[in-house]
Amino acid sequence: MIEFIPRYWYNIVPDLSRPLPPPRDPEDSNFSRIELLNSIIPKEVLRQQFTAERYVKIPDDVIELYSLAGRPTPLMRAKNFEEALDTPAKIYFKYEGATHSGSHKINTAIPQAYFAKEEGVERVVTETGAGQWGTAVALAAALMKIKSTVFMVRVSYEQKPGRRTMMNLYGAEVYASPSEITEYGRKELRKNPSNPGSLGIAMSEAIEYAINKGYRYLVGSVMEVVLLHQSVIGLEAINQFDYIGETPDVLIGCVGGGSNFAGFSYPFIGSKKGSRYIAVSSSEIKKFSKGVYEYDFPDSAGLLPMLKMITLGKDYVPPPIYSGGLRYHGLAPTLSLLVRDKTVEWMEFSETEIYEAAMLFARTQGIVPAPESAHAIMAAIKVAQEAREKKERPVIAFNLSGHGLLDLSYYQKMEAK
Amino acid sequence: MKKLLVSYMTIGYPNEEDYLNFIKEADELGTDVFELGYPPDFAKYDGPLIRKSYSKVKSVFKNFSELISKSRNFTEKKIIVLTYLESVQNNLDEFLENVKSHGADGVLFPDLLVDFPESYSGYIKQISEKRLEHVIFVSPFVPDRLISEVSALSRPFLYYGIRPTTGIVTPVGVGTLVKRVKNLIDNRLIVGFGLKDDDDIREALSAGADGVAVGTAYIEAFEAVGLKGALDVVKKVRNILDEFE
Repeated sequence: MIEFIPRYWYNIVPDLSRPLPPPRDPEDSNFSRIELLNSIIPKEVLRQQFTAERYVKIPDDVIELYSLAGRPTPLMRAKNFEEALDTPAKIYFKYEGATHSGSHKINTAIPQAYFAKEEGVERVVTETGAGQWGTAVALAAALMKIKSTVFMVRVSYEQKPGRRTMMNLYGAEVYASPSEITEYGRKELRKNPSNPGSLGIAMSEAIEYAINKGYRYLVGSVMEVVLLHQSVIGLEAINQFDYIGETPDVLIGCVGGGSNFAGFSYPFIGSKKGSRYIAVSSSEIKKFSKGVYEYDFPDSAGLLPMLKMITLGKDYVPPPIYSGGLRYHGLAPTLSLLVRDKTVEWMEFSETEIYEAAMLFARTQGIVPAPESAHAIMAAIKVAQEAREKKERPVIAFNLSGHGLLDLSYYQKMEAK
Repeated sequence: MKKLLVSYMTIGYPNEEDYLNFIKEADELGTDVFELGYPPDFAKYDGPLIRKSYSKVKSVFKNFSELISKSRNFTEKKIIVLTYLESVQNNLDEFLENVKSHGADGVLFPDLLVDFPESYSGYIKQISEKRLEHVIFVSPFVPDRLISEVSALSRPFLYYGIRPTTGIVTPVGVGTLVKRVKNLIDNRLIVGFGLKDDDDIREALSAGADGVAVGTAYIEAFEAVGLKGALDVVKKVRNILDEFE
């Protein structure tokens, strides 16, 4: 039902417990990176990045496009999965894999491409890790009838030819990053010709390319405006839960930069629905257990303003795990604050653990999850098992941020182990 | 009610003579409160122009308190000294006594709430004990609850920084932001930090701001034209403020 799609996005900043440290330049800087944002990010996107409004109106055209792209996404109860876990808990999931691009990423790609088009821009540029974001941008640009260029982290480019094909099908130009077409990419390749790439490097390439060519850069995660747009997931879920007369106690999502988790959970946190919010990352990346809370660059080249966040360091090159969406070094500033003040709990799981979780979910519910989303499934299993031990009946809801139909090579690899 | 002009100037910028002339004439041209920038170790929330002005004066002067005293000779208006708490927190009492004894009426630490949210009330008490006023700086990054909580504590007004950094224009809805914050507070509201032009100032005032703070525009004019340019900006802003009396 289109009525489930909210008319406003939700911004958590006015409801935080403490001020959000603002973006800033490093100490030795003689130019303003915030000023630089003016020339690469669509104006309305930037205005929304710095807004203090609790609710921001979603343009009618964007609501139409959300509907075209598969919103509202289903909120489903995973009864068969509950039975397999032998848990008294009820488990629901919001299925963002049902969007046409196959993940939640389309929720911010559409408005960003829409605002870029409104400015008369002919091409948008971005980076992608696992490929979900690049696919979403390629689709959003196609829907807005503008062109797109995507820098795809080399390891994913090689592991996920299906993603690349999908982006090409939507009309995007796709380059493996580090690439030869930017100065930053060439520099990285000179240092290490077999560099597997990272989201930070791909981001730096996309920004450099957008600056030099006068295009607009679309942001896939970390920045508050992305979290704002993603709030459509949680707001929609609240409408759906209200419709069935249920309220979740535990909200779970996987975390790369933090946008799908935040988009799903922030509207619940803001309206004081639920009592536990769990962000899940990879134990190969260790963002929560090893990350430090400090000002760091969101991109490896240091072109964007520094953000105060939980980070592994901008130069961190993550191991080539398959969950490309979780390989990012930083964590959105508002989410970093909420983790620090313990509003949000965290968990980390290994690729082996999440493979088991994905397999159980696929066999009981029929959906092959993206490996990133399987981290959320694994956390739901943990909470459901706890509930069984404590004889409690919580209502668990997790965000199944994307399907894994283009990740079958990962499943093949894990099967072979 | 008369709208307030808060004029920011980096202490000693661009040189002692022009700086003091600026204070004297900006007073005569209708500045209501002076906000004097005391060079911090790192002006982390300021834009490049103000950062550059700090570097410049740091290379020339050693004793900024003395320049506060000299400023006092040219104005009877309130003098609020602005610096970063991070730079002075280890010898805060000494810093406060020093600026007070050189003629300051109050202090403003733009990093107080952002970087010391758990201990800000202790610092405010410490400032009050030295019989200095404390202007509290809030911004769109400060949660509503905290803005309401600190609004009444801020003296002689609450300072709302509209943009993330000084002197850098990012697209923000000035009117919307000012109306929002007006609903949260019970105090006079001064809007600053990146007001970009006359339209921005008018929009802030129409939305209910009780005055504006100007800084980067003076420094920019000093750089481009010199003292006369900076004073022209004072005149221009005063005229806009007077449209709203």
